[in-house]
Amino acid sequence: MSLRDLALEGLEQTLNRILDLDPDARVRLAALHGRVIRIELRGAGIELNFVSGHDGRLQLLGTVEGPPDCTLSGSPIDLIRASDKTEGPAQLFAGHVRIDGDTALAQRFSEALAGIDIDWEEQLSHMTGDIAAHEIGRGVRALQREGGRVGRSARDNLSEYLTEEARLLPHHLEIEDFLRDVDTLRDDAERLEARIALLEGRMGGDKA
Amino acid sequence: MVSKRQSTHFGFRSVDAGEKAGLVRGVFDSVAGKYDVMNDLMSLGIHRLWKRFAIELAGVRPGQRVLDLASGTGDLADRFADLVGPSGLVLMTDINAAMLGAGRDRMLDRGHAGNLAFAQVDAESLPFPDDSLDLITIAFGLRNVTHKEKALASMFRALKPGGRALVLEFSKPVIKPLEKLYDLYSFHVLPRMGKLVAKDPDSYRYLAESIRMHPDQETLKAMMEAAGFERCDVHNLTGGIVAVHRGFKF
Ligand SMILES: C[S@@+](CC[C@H](N)C(=O)[O-])C[C@H]1O[C@@H](n2cnc3c(N)ncnc32)[C@H](O)[C@@H]1O
Repeated sequence: MSLRDLALEGLEQTLNRILDLDPDARVRLAALHGRVIRIELRGAGIELNFVSGHDGRLQLLGTVEGPPDCTLSGSPIDLIRASDKTEGPAQLFAGHVRIDGDTALAQRFSEALAGIDIDWEEQLSHMTGDIAAHEIGRGVRALQREGGRVGRSARDNLSEYLTEEARLLPHHLEIEDFLRDVDTLRDDAERLEARIALLEGRMGGDKA
Repeated sequence: MVSKRQSTHFGFRSVDAGEKAGLVRGVFDSVAGKYDVMNDLMSLGIHRLWKRFAIELAGVRPGQRVLDLASGTGDLADRFADLVGPSGLVLMTDINAAMLGAGRDRMLDRGHAGNLAFAQVDAESLPFPDDSLDLITIAFGLRNVTHKEKALASMFRALKPGGRALVLEFSKPVIKPLEKLYDLYSFHVLPRMGKLVAKDPDSYRYLAESIRMHPDQETLKAMMEAAGFERCDVHNLTGGIVAVHRGFKF
């Protein structure tokens, strides 16, 4: 269990909260119940496996056993662009994003997600929290090489995210470390205990 | 051997083996309504990550038949039902009617239909044919079971060759300082939370005690091997506060 799980949980919750507001997307995704769609972020060494639920909510798994039904792979920027409503299809067919396996499924999945209002850049940046720094560097350099094709601001934003998050994330998310930081936690637990005692006192007082 | 009176643990108390199931039922009858809230509170929400980890180890594929024991409100069954797809089947079970009822309502609210079935089942004697299931899971349930060996043997029997069982359960912290803190939390903070939120400190005291009486990583692994499981592995989570035991039947 690691940062990765926490990031997956976070992204999954965000995605589903957004999907809850978009019944149309959910209906389309529900038709894919049980199908495994893998997204590979080239350069970042990250893979995400999406499984559609009966109700069109998504589960996100870091690993699955056996082959997925389809795989979409590309640089983060290409994938982000592919998820764009207007640019997306062109991006897919221009070959920036590679599709393996069930192509029709990949397309249905992208189309279902194309309309939802989510900041993929920010979301993907959370996924980079536990990969080695040099891998992030590599990803950023790869992005920079692709600069000609990519909108300048998008590239800059993403690089910034990747580098900044690399420092920022552990800070927010490193639960395991937090738990190991026993002194702090002990203080917290004692404070919590005191607070509960206080609350109990107050509740007792109310009744009396 | 049935006539011989055996004793077992109910938390730190020693009780008649025949009595334990009833006492455990009392605990879960009492907590059923507040179970989900308490779960999040008690574990600071981390139980979601523990379950997520177990789900990846389960390696569920579309079309499979999955049995979730001691399902309670069904966190695992809910996810499995989406992972097995419309052609698979998940059996959501619990020995306790109140917990199963709460879980069933929750699953129906979520719109599950077709690939999820509910049944009141005692983990010690599974009413399923030999070699019939791809995966059996029990999350935070085994410590409540009176005869754990019986449950493990029954799970092994019902699994298909190639199938696997997963036990997600509190275990023994492997980091020394964590152990002390954990005691403080379990025996002081937890029962008080139980009192405030669920108005039931005793049930939550039982929870803390039953966790301490549960076999540690090595012991449980040996028990699984004794039941016939192969390639058993143990994954410690959050410093061993929780562990996933996994075993295969070949
Ligand atoms: C702490 S809850 C766990 C619920 C759920 N699996 C989860 O992880 O949130 C434990 C459950 O074990 C059930 N239980 C106790 N003894 C059992 C037995 N012998 N067979 C099946 N379930 C049992 C209780 O009724 C209770 O619902």
